Amino acid sequence: MSGQSDPRGSAFSAAELEFLAEDEMIEIVPNLRIKPLSLICGDFGPFQPQIPTQVPIWLAVALKKRGKCTIRPPDWMSVEKLTQVLEAERDSASSFEALPFHYVEISRLLFDHARDDVPEVYMVRSLIEDIKDVRFHKIGTGLEKLSSRTYAMKLNLSAMEVNVIRPFVTGSLETFYELTAPEIIQESQREEYRRPQTADRGPRRELRR
Amino acid sequence: MAKYYDIDDILADEELVPAVFLEAVNGVGLLQSNETNRIEPRSKVELPFWLASELHLRQAASVNVPPCYNKKTREEIGADGAHVDLRSRCSYFYQLGCKIVQLIGDKTIGSLLLVAFQIRYKEVLIKAHTSASILGPKFLSLLTKEETKLYDAAKSSTAAFKSWRMGGPRFQKASVLGRKRKPIGE
Repeated sequence: MSGQSDPRGSAFSAAELEFLAEDEMIEIVPNLRIKPLSLICGDFGPFQPQIPTQVPIWLAVALKKRGKCTIRPPDWMSVEKLTQVLEAERDSASSFEALPFHYVEISRLLFDHARDDVPEVYMVRSLIEDIKDVRFHKIGTGLEKLSSRTYAMKLNLSAMEVNVIRPFVTGSLETFYELTAPEIIQESQREEYRRPQTADRGPRRELRR
Repeated sequence: MAKYYDIDDILADEELVPAVFLEAVNGVGLLQSNETNRIEPRSKVELPFWLASELHLRQAASVNVPPCYNKKTREEIGADGAHVDLRSRCSYFYQLGCKIVQLIGDKTIGSLLLVAFQIRYKEVLIKAHTSASILGPKFLSLLTKEETKLYDAAKSSTAAFKSWRMGGPRFQKASVLGRKRKPIGE
C-alpha cells in the first residue's frame, strides 16, 4: 500500500497522504436534489437542498467544483478552536493537542477548493500554519531524546508529521538497535547506558500522553 | 547472509584494517616490496576487512584494531563528538566497528560507537529538519556514510513536504496532451 513514489517503499508522498485524507467525512449543504448514491465505499445522500449531509471529502470537492454544494468546515477549523489549540501547544513543551489525524491535508484541501466556505479564511490559515510550525519544532526537540530504549511513542501526531520524520526515525532507531546488540556492547555498559535513560523517564513520560 | 545484497555492507568490507601475519605464506606478495612472493611471519600489512577476517578465523593472521578506533579518536569524540571528521578516518565507521567487535571481541569499541552515534545523530537531526538553505559542504564532509544516508532521508522528506505545501500544479499534464496533431499528408 505504501509508497508508490518512493523507491524504498518506506514513506508516503505528500500527495498520497492527501489522497488518503480525502476519505475523511465532511458535512456539506447541497443545493440540488439527488437520489442516494450507492458507491463501493458506502451509501451517501439522499441530497436535498439546504439539508446538511455527510460525505467524503473527495465527493464534497467534486460537488463543490460544479457549484452543487457548500462545504461546512469541521468544528476544529474555527478561529476560536484553533486559537485555543495554538495556545495549548505553546504552553506545554512536550504534549500535543488532539487534532484530526489528517488536519494538514484537510485544511489544504479546503483552502484550495472551498475558500469561500471557510469563515475568516486568512486567520484560519495562518493559525494552522502557526500550529504546524510549533508542533514541528516540538517534534524536533523531542527527537533529540531518541535512544535505543525508545520503543513506542504514543503522541497525537498527525499523518503528515509522522510521514516527514519517518525516514530519519526508523533509520536512527535501527542504528541504535544494532549498536546496543549484546554482542557489540558489554552488559555492564548497557546497564550504565540504560540508567540515565531511566532517570530521564520523568520528562519523557510527559512526552507520551 | 541477511545483508548479502546490501551494497553498503559490501563496501564496508572493503575498508582496510591492519593485520599481522602469524605464519609464512607462499605464493603471495606484498605490493611495493622486493620480488619475493613469500610473506614472512610477523609482517605487518593492511588488508581489506573481508580478507583479514577470513585469515584471522583461520589463525593465519591476527587483526589489529584499526587506527580510527584508537585513543586519540576516542578523546576527540569525548570532547566534541559532533565535529569530529569521521569520514576521512573511516567512511563506514559504525558498520566496520560492529564487525571488528564481533571479530576481536573488544567491547570498548562498541560503547565508543554508541556514544559517538548518540552525540552525532542530534546534529544530523537539527541540520536536516530545520535549516532550509543549503549547508556548506563542510558539515557534510564530516559525516560517515551511514550518517549521510540518514541526513539525506530526513532532508528529502522535509523538502517533499514543503514543496507539497507550497502548492504548485496538483495534476501534471502529460506533455503529449497539449500537443496539436499534425495534419497528415500535407
